Order: sequence, then C-alpha cells, then structure tokens
Amino acid sequence: MKNSAGTLIRIVDLHKSYYDGDAELRVLQGINLDVHKSELLAVVGASGVGKSTLLHIIGTLDRPTAGSVLYDENDIFNMPDKALAGFRNKEIGFVFQFHHLLPEFTALENVAMGALITNANHKTVCKEAEALLDYVGLAERRTHYPNQLSGGERQRVAIARALINQPRVVLADEPTGNLDRRSSERVLELLWDLNAKSGQAFVIVTHNQELAQQVDRVVQLVDGKVVGSETSLGKSEVREN
Amino acid sequence: MRFEWFVASRYLRSRRKQSFISIISIIAIGGVALGVATVILVIAVLDGVEHGLRDRFLANEAHVVFRLHDHSFFGNYQKRITQIQAIDEVVATSPVVLAQIGVFPEHSDTIQDVIYIKGIDPVQEDAVTGFSQLVSGTTDFQNSEYIEKARLIRDETIAGGIVLGGRLAARLGIIKGDVLRLVVKLVKHPANESMLLPDLANFVVIGFYESEMAVYDNNFGFIHINDAQALYNKANRINTIFVRLSDAELAPQIAREIEDSVQFTVLEGIPDARTWMEIQAPLFSALRLERIATVIIEALIILVASFNIASTLIMTVMEKTKDVGTLRTLGASRGNVMKIFMIQGSVIGTFGTMLGTALGLTLCWLLSSNAVRPSYWYVLVLVLPIVLQVLIALRRARPSRGGWKFAAATLWILGIGFALYCAVRPISFAELGLSHIYQMNQMPIKVNWFFVIFINVLSLLICWLATLYPAWQAANLKPVEALQHE
Repeated sequence: MKNSAGTLIRIVDLHKSYYDGDAELRVLQGINLDVHKSELLAVVGASGVGKSTLLHIIGTLDRPTAGSVLYDENDIFNMPDKALAGFRNKEIGFVFQFHHLLPEFTALENVAMGALITNANHKTVCKEAEALLDYVGLAERRTHYPNQLSGGERQRVAIARALINQPRVVLADEPTGNLDRRSSERVLELLWDLNAKSGQAFVIVTHNQELAQQVDRVVQLVDGKVVGSETSLGKSEVREN
Repeated sequence: MRFEWFVASRYLRSRRKQSFISIISIIAIGGVALGVATVILVIAVLDGVEHGLRDRFLANEAHVVFRLHDHSFFGNYQKRITQIQAIDEVVATSPVVLAQIGVFPEHSDTIQDVIYIKGIDPVQEDAVTGFSQLVSGTTDFQNSEYIEKARLIRDETIAGGIVLGGRLAARLGIIKGDVLRLVVKLVKHPANESMLLPDLANFVVIGFYESEMAVYDNNFGFIHINDAQALYNKANRINTIFVRLSDAELAPQIAREIEDSVQFTVLEGIPDARTWMEIQAPLFSALRLERIATVIIEALIILVASFNIASTLIMTVMEKTKDVGTLRTLGASRGNVMKIFMIQGSVIGTFGTMLGTALGLTLCWLLSSNAVRPSYWYVLVLVLPIVLQVLIALRRARPSRGGWKFAAATLWILGIGFALYCAVRPISFAELGLSHIYQMNQMPIKVNWFFVIFINVLSLLICWLATLYPAWQAANLKPVEALQHE
C-alpha cells in the first residue's frame, strides 16, 4: 500500500442532498474517506448510490450540503469561486465516461485547453500538449477534431487533457464505461502506467470489476455511505511483478 | 492570444455541423450593420436637407428684414439706410416696398390670385439677394423690349415691367410679353356710388424669377421700387429694408443693433428687425423636430439589431452548455466563461457597426456623386453573386484553403459594392416631381461626422449591453448540470 506517502485528500462527514420542492433526496450520508498521495483508489457501488456525486464534490464541481473536503488539511470549500476554479485547474484532472472534448477544437487544442485557461505561453503549452498526445499514442492525430477520432482515441485525448497541468489527483468517472474491450484495456494500461510514472493519485468511479481488481484500494458505497474499504492484493502483486 | 479570445473566436467561426451558429453570427452582424447604415444615411439626408435649405435660403435672402411693427410706410429712408450701413457687419442694404396685391391676367376677367409684390431697386437688391442672377429675361423694368412693344400695340397705359415667379407665371398661364393687371385698390363707380370698381395698373411681364425656392417662385412678383411707390401713391416712402451681413450667424445680434440705431419717433412706429432664423423658424424647427424623432426611431432600429445579438448569444449558450461545463471542469472561472460570450457578442457588434458605417458612408457617397451608372449592369450584378455561389459550392467539395476563402470573400464584397454602385443613383426630386415641395432639385446629403462617431459609440454600447444577460446566463450554469446537458 502507498498510504505511507501521506494523505492528499481527507473527506470528513460529507453529506449531499438534493431538493425537489419539499422532498429531500439524501445522496451522500456522512462519507469519511482518505485519499493518499499516489494512490489508485476505486469507488464501486450500484447505480445511484452517489459515486458520481462524491467524485463531483471531490473535484469541486459541486458543493456539499454538509461536511468538508480537505486537500492538505485545507478545506477547499472555504475558497471563493474564482480561487476554487484556479485550484481545480492546477490540482485536479478529470476523465469522464463521455470524453467531453470540445468539438470545435483539435485534439491538440483540447489537450492544451487546461493550460491555456491560465494564459500560459501558447507555444510552450502546445509543446507540452504534443508530448502528452505522443505519450497516449495520438501524436499523428493532433490536428484532428473529436468527430474524426474513435471512442478510444477520444478517451485517450481526454486523459492527456487531464494531465496538462500535472494535477496531484485525477478523478475518473467510468473511464472505460463507454469503450469496447480493446479500447478499455489500452485506456487502463495508460492509467496504471501514468500512476506508476508520475505518482498522481487516481480516484476512479467504476462498475468494472476487472478494473477494481487492479487498483490499490477499493471503496464500496451503499446508500450514500462507505461500507467497505479493502486493499486489492491482486493489483499489488501484479504491480510488484 | 488570451484564452477567452481563443475560444470566442473559434465559436464565432464555427465548423461544419456547427455552421448554423456562424450563419446566425453573420445574420446578427448584418442586422447591426443595416441598422447603423440606415441611421447614418437617414441623418445625412436630413442634415443635407436642412443645410441645403439653409444655404439656398441664405444665398438669395436677406439676413435681416427691417420694418415698422405695423408694416407701415416711412419716409426719409436714405438716412435710415445710412444708419444701418454704419454697422460694421452690414454688407449691403436694399430699400423695398412689400405688399400683397390681387392679379388678373389679361385673358381673364376675375382676380386669379393674390401675390406678393416686391418693389425693388435692381442694383441695390442685387447686392442683398443676387436678384438678377435668378431672373430669366431682363431686369430693366422701364425699357425692356417687351414694354416698348406693348406700349406700341396697346392703347392701355403700361405702368412698367414685372418679373414674375416662374411657377406663378406657369400657374397663371402667362408668357413673357403678356400684360398682368394688378388690382391696387377699389374705387367707387362714377355713376353708381354703391358699386366698387378695381383701380388697375398694367404691367408687362419681362422675365421669370427662378430661385428654386418654392415660396418665391410660387408667390412673388418684382417691380421697380418707383413703380411700387407710384402704385400706392407713396413717393419716396418705403416699408421694408433688406439687409445682408458678412456672417449670417450674427443676425440676431445685428438685428438688435439695427433696432437701436435707427431712429424713429413714437408717431412713426416701433422699429422691428427680424432675422432669417425668425422668419424661417417654423421650417427649421420642424426639421429639427423631425431629426430628433428620427434619431429616436433609429436608436430603436439599433436596439432591435442588438436583440438579434442577444438571441444569437442565447442560442450559442444553449448550444455550448456542455462545453461550458467542460471548460468549468478544466478550471475556467465564471469570469472566464462570461468573457468568452461577451467577446463573441462584442465582436458581432463591432463588426456590424464597422460594416454599417462603411455601408452608410458608401451609400451617402453614391447618393451625392453625380456619376452616370449604366442600368444594364444590373444584369451583371444579378449574375455575379450567383456565379460566385456556384463556384463556392463546387469548391466546397475539395479541401478549402485560406487563399481561396479570402478571394471568395473579396469577390463577394466587390460584388456587393458593385451592386450598390449600380443600384443607387442620386435621387432627383425633379424626376419625382417633388422639387417644388422640397425647394431643391436633388436630394442633398451631408455627412455629420460627429453624429457618425456618436452612432458608432451608441451602437457599440447597445451591442455590448446586449451581451450581458446571455454571458451572465452562461457564467452561472452549474458545471455538473451543464456536463449532463443533452
């Protein structure tokens, strides 16, 4: 296990409710969870238990009803909106089930977008983006638009995009949910390789049992609560080999 | 390039399946451009009409008209004229007998019209209003060949010659050499005192006055001042002095000076000097009112165009909701997102305003230039865009290149410019039969640069304001909801 490296994210008594008129829908009900630096963490559970909601809150895309999310022991939801956007830009990478690439921009521009938001030097950013595309095996497709790429290719572009600012944590919501077996394998290989090389923490929400077996730790959500946290020994063994 | 510009410019251009948005961008730009062009053109025409009327009016009109408040005759006028001429800015003066009089032409036995008779000294009147330049025929009121001929062949007494307003003469059916009878007053019938007879004076028409100022051409007759004095039996007396100044704008101030410097006794009456502004006040204030009303209407036109921008942006925001979610996920702040859409709207507004200004000024130039444009070019104008469109369609099958696009755009602009050049001709009031109403033959255009700048600033401001709501709407999309938007 890699938790010896220290805790990156600490989630304390996290609640999230949605309201439809007077009716309250309690999605998360007191989640306590630590994400360690360089850890591969899978969040599993049935549909509708709040996996994605948890991921959105960790990713600062949504605010909790109660509880806190601490990055390096700092409660991020104390930040004003603009600072939170900056934090998201620098510290967090996202990979979604549906790639969410911007259709008007080329693969290269999509990858570079996260860095361009900070108004970083265009040339430097493009070089970095090219290196990332090369890394995910799509250097040749850099001038192609999303509609000219296959599903697997789009997802690899999305992974490259998540990495442009070298975030400390990558949040992936069903990254292989929409891919065929071969594409899934390639995407997962990429994730494991990245984790090994760059030491980023990965929080992956998934239904995919195969994927769940290959991570450092699996957390199960039932009815908005964490009911089990186990170390995936198989994965450790594979990695050690 | 800053991030917001980078994204906004891509959204404006848009590709392939999103080409819908770029077409509505074009429509939005066109809306603003048409609004701005219309405003510039209409205001230029209104300004042109006002200045045209003013210039025409001032060229042949006294700047100050001096008379007694009851319009009565006064004597000793040479002394008064000297007093007026002592004022520095006074350039010329003309003593005048001004009266209304009934007329009937020789072929008629009823009074056909009541006209203004202006008894003038041609030389002095020339200095004030340039009278003789506007007369076709002679201004020799005493010894014209027409008068001599009339005196030879007619047994009536001929009092003198008369120069008649051109349109008035046409209305009365009079040609040069005809005799016009003026009704000076009514006298009792020698045999039956209860009957009144007109005391007539016969004048021979020696020329026509054509100033293109409807008020004179329709209503005035000019006779010699001595004849006018004889008509009213007022030897050496006049009732009006026309004054020309070195600068027409000084009229109000000089009018007061004239009133103060010309001496009259209480019995004679109170002096009253009226400026050209006062005399034409109804006309110029009507024009000004019209201009204010027009500016308000034109501002509304731009407002309508700005609604176009707002709706374009709202549609873009709806189209791009998911993209907004993605951008927020990547760390774009609300401010970033707001700027993207504000830039988009502002670019539409700026391009529209620039295009509209260019279009408006081009139209102004075309309408005011007198170049002759052959009408068969219309055919070419129709064919050119069609050919272009076909070429573009053919070319679209192959990968597009920047150079080709540029050439196509240039051709389009040239084609539209050419169409304008052929389509727009100076509007001639004479052709439309309106010159007697507008007192000028061709629609005058005067570009008011201050107003052009004003309308540009106004248009940019309105367009910018129109971006606020849609941009705010985009900025306030919740990232998670935006991502899930279908």
